[in-house]
Amino acid sequence: MSLSQWRRRLAAILGRDRAASELEEEMRLHLELRTRQLREQGLAPEEAGHAARRRFGNELAVHEASAGVWGWTAWERLLGDFRLAFRNLYKAPGFTAVAVATLAVGLGMNVAVFSLVHAVMLRSLPYAAPERLVSLWEESFKGEPSQFTTSGRSLGGDTSAQRTTISPANLADYAGSPAFAGLASFDVAAKNLTGLGTPERLQGEGVSANFFDVLGVKPAVGRNFLPEEDRDGAAGAVIITDQFWRNRLGSDTNVLAHSIMLDAQPYQIVGVLPPDFQSPYQLTIPDRVEIYVPAAYPRELLTSRGDHEVNAVARLRPGVSVRQAQADLDVISASLGKQFQSTNRNIRAGIAPLRDDIVRNVRQSLWILLGASALIVLIACVNLANLLLVRATRRQHESSVRMALGGGRWSRVLQFLAESLTLAGGGCVAGLGLGFLLMQLLVWLAPQNIPRIQNVTMDWPVFAAAAAVALMTGLVFGMIPAWQSSQAKPAEALKTSARSTGARAQARWRSALTAAEIALSLILLVGAGLLLRSFVRVMGVDLGFQPERVLAVGVNLPELRYHDADRRLSFFEELERRVTALPGVQAVTFANRLPLRGGWGSGAYLESSPDVMRDADFQAVSPGYFETLGIGLERGRLLVHNDRKGQPHVAVVNQAFARQFLSGADPIGRRFRRSSQPWVTIVGVVNDIRRGGKTDDINPQVYLAAAQTDLYPVRLADLAVRTRSDPRQLVNAVQRQVWAIDKDQPVTNVRTLEEIISRSVAERRFEMVLLIAFASVAVLLAMIGIFGVLSYIVNQRMGELGIRVALGASPGRIVVMVLQQAGWWIIVGIGAGLAGAFTLARYLESLLFEIRHGDPWTYAAAVALLLAVSLAAALIPARRGAKVDPMTALRYE
Amino acid sequence: MMRGERDEIPPGTLEMLILTTLATGPPRHGFEIAESILSVSEDVLQVEEGSLYPALQRMLLKGWIQGDWGKTDENRRARFYRLTAEGRRQLDREVDRYRRVARAIARVLATA
Repeated sequence: MSLSQWRRRLAAILGRDRAASELEEEMRLHLELRTRQLREQGLAPEEAGHAARRRFGNELAVHEASAGVWGWTAWERLLGDFRLAFRNLYKAPGFTAVAVATLAVGLGMNVAVFSLVHAVMLRSLPYAAPERLVSLWEESFKGEPSQFTTSGRSLGGDTSAQRTTISPANLADYAGSPAFAGLASFDVAAKNLTGLGTPERLQGEGVSANFFDVLGVKPAVGRNFLPEEDRDGAAGAVIITDQFWRNRLGSDTNVLAHSIMLDAQPYQIVGVLPPDFQSPYQLTIPDRVEIYVPAAYPRELLTSRGDHEVNAVARLRPGVSVRQAQADLDVISASLGKQFQSTNRNIRAGIAPLRDDIVRNVRQSLWILLGASALIVLIACVNLANLLLVRATRRQHESSVRMALGGGRWSRVLQFLAESLTLAGGGCVAGLGLGFLLMQLLVWLAPQNIPRIQNVTMDWPVFAAAAAVALMTGLVFGMIPAWQSSQAKPAEALKTSARSTGARAQARWRSALTAAEIALSLILLVGAGLLLRSFVRVMGVDLGFQPERVLAVGVNLPELRYHDADRRLSFFEELERRVTALPGVQAVTFANRLPLRGGWGSGAYLESSPDVMRDADFQAVSPGYFETLGIGLERGRLLVHNDRKGQPHVAVVNQAFARQFLSGADPIGRRFRRSSQPWVTIVGVVNDIRRGGKTDDINPQVYLAAAQTDLYPVRLADLAVRTRSDPRQLVNAVQRQVWAIDKDQPVTNVRTLEEIISRSVAERRFEMVLLIAFASVAVLLAMIGIFGVLSYIVNQRMGELGIRVALGASPGRIVVMVLQQAGWWIIVGIGAGLAGAFTLARYLESLLFEIRHGDPWTYAAAVALLLAVSLAAALIPARRGAKVDPMTALRYE
Repeated sequence: MMRGERDEIPPGTLEMLILTTLATGPPRHGFEIAESILSVSEDVLQVEEGSLYPALQRMLLKGWIQGDWGKTDENRRARFYRLTAEGRRQLDREVDRYRRVARAIARVLATA
């Protein structure tokens, strides 16, 4: 049928009343004209009317035939089917409620996870032509480059050791590639804001002048940065976010006349960003970025190819593919490698679509969650099919009668489909409602480092996906019972009574479906078990230091007022003295960075082997560091207040340092240095710590005395306080002490170490909690399935069981008999589930910590749990079978 | 339905008659079409003139004819049908097909 025919048909269905009355009018005219003609031919008036009608035929039949032509009849039959389905379901509220609830739970979980996946991974980024945006990085291959330092924080956090941020010097070469329409760099640039209420540290980014142009964003007020503003030494310019403008400047319309003080320097406001703007970096962090300043890289950075410090985003020229651009970059990387042997030999640039790159660290766990939720939907569908089968069985008699009376098989199938589609529709609506609630729960539970987690909403793609799944469920799983019942043989079925149920095929179907449910739940159980065991392992890891009751605060002293190391040191020593005097304080220390809060990796040369650079975590710490963090001394001595400028340079190392660099020899008395800086003598050894958190490796550590680090590129920025009770209560007091020394100095990143640890395992906890929830729902659904099938079988065998009891079978014997029947499909289900779990669990491998995906204990525990639950579910109907009163049972027949 | 009282009209014949009727002359309303067909073939519409109307509806849907409301000579409201371009093509196809079939049948009968 052509499109215009469909259109006319649809118009006819919509305008059916008018069409019918028009037809009526035509027919009336016809009859009148015919009557008149016959009268003129000499018939009596009454006779003429009758004859005209006779010749015309049955008017009602004409109406009906016309209605058939327009497709009204089929439409009406369909409506009738659904009306009947609705009435039937309404008359069976128990069945309807269970079926809709089952589907709602399955769909709801799926919808919630899918909306998360959609918002985080699939939705386009909020920029102009986002598909042409790519993320750029550099990676080292075949060992390490000769000179290599980085303190840059790369987009999305880093998991791969080879990937690094980009050297601005190399970036200029990459930007020359014809593949790019524009290439912009950005980096974190937090700044202290003063002069607008309490001093605060703002999250900010330092960006190249073309940053917003490359993203295709225009400020709502003002302009983008000018190239001359992006130069070292240029006067400060800042573009603020809409949020900054509203909250801190009261939506001042004259905003471009203002300048603000950042790190004690004036910055002229040149633009305000649109309200919905989020930078690529913003998408990956929960804190709001409020200011953007020109990157203005210093000249030495722009010429140093070994300094990998910045992130980059580029816009491909139209028609250029990521692959072509990558090929182009490979050529550039190779030529740089030849030209700058020492720095670029083993470095190459990599790119990926920006959207994929942002989520690369969470992608796998999200796919796994989506897969798990798909299994739940599958289980829900199987359960629904099972329920529908029971219902079809109960109505076998009705089907037979209908067919005996001439009802067609096809119309019976349609009837069942209408019913299952109505259920699917109800389940879809309920599932969307439940999904909406679950989605909010999910966002609330989710670790904040999932990119775009705050943008999760339910929108049309989510609705469409849910509706599609529901429709499929209704059609596919409604088909089984529909087909089954259309196979009814009227003659045979009528011979049996209305409540007895014959078809053995149905029992087979239902057993198979239940076995499938058991298999699917076992897969989820194994997954949840692996994640649970892995999480327990993670939580059991000894960090090597005691994070309890330790409060950490960041104090970032601005360069302008604290440009030399001595001033920073005296600030922190003064702060340490003041905080130590506070009530409830047990110990205080300061350092460049505390464990779990980033660090300063660097290389050094040992006196005993001066040719090999040793990579270790370096830190500048005050003498109270070890006591405050609970790190124990193994040999030698700790740092003391006397280790100051002018005294011999000393350091404390950890056991890993001795193990890895000295083959376990005693490090005390040995000396090392960083390139041309003074020799440092090792005076003590402390125990190992996992500096980066529970899942971090144990790395060599070097603790330098803070008072002796003025020559090093390291800044003191963290203060830690060990308290006697809740460390949170000291936050305000510590803040007041900071302001007592410098009223313009903000305190940032205030966290207890325990909070940081809890956050660091948040992703694992999230995955585990979700998978456990999925597995629980799966097992519950499987229980319902087993219970249902066995109840059905017991019902079916009521008469036989009654005879057995009458003939003296013990109740125990009957229970065993029924359980035996359940036994084989439970075993089949578990076997299939084990195979499935073993196949699928390998995708979990990357999420597991010190547990293999084939961990036999987990599998054994999952099987044992499922067996116990299955038996419990089977026991109820089995016991009912044993309690059959022979007389009642026999009277059924 | 009065089955078996007379030979069944081959399906599509009524449509073809309507197409042929409308192919010449001005647009006509239902009664005029019936009269015109009657004058050509007594048989087809003798039993039930009403069956003309579902056929007209079917052809409207297929886009072969178009119906416009107008006034008769006696100033009565009536729907006047006329052939569309698609209807004219359909008529040509039908006539062609009929001729082919008729020739084939004639040949079959000739050999009998």
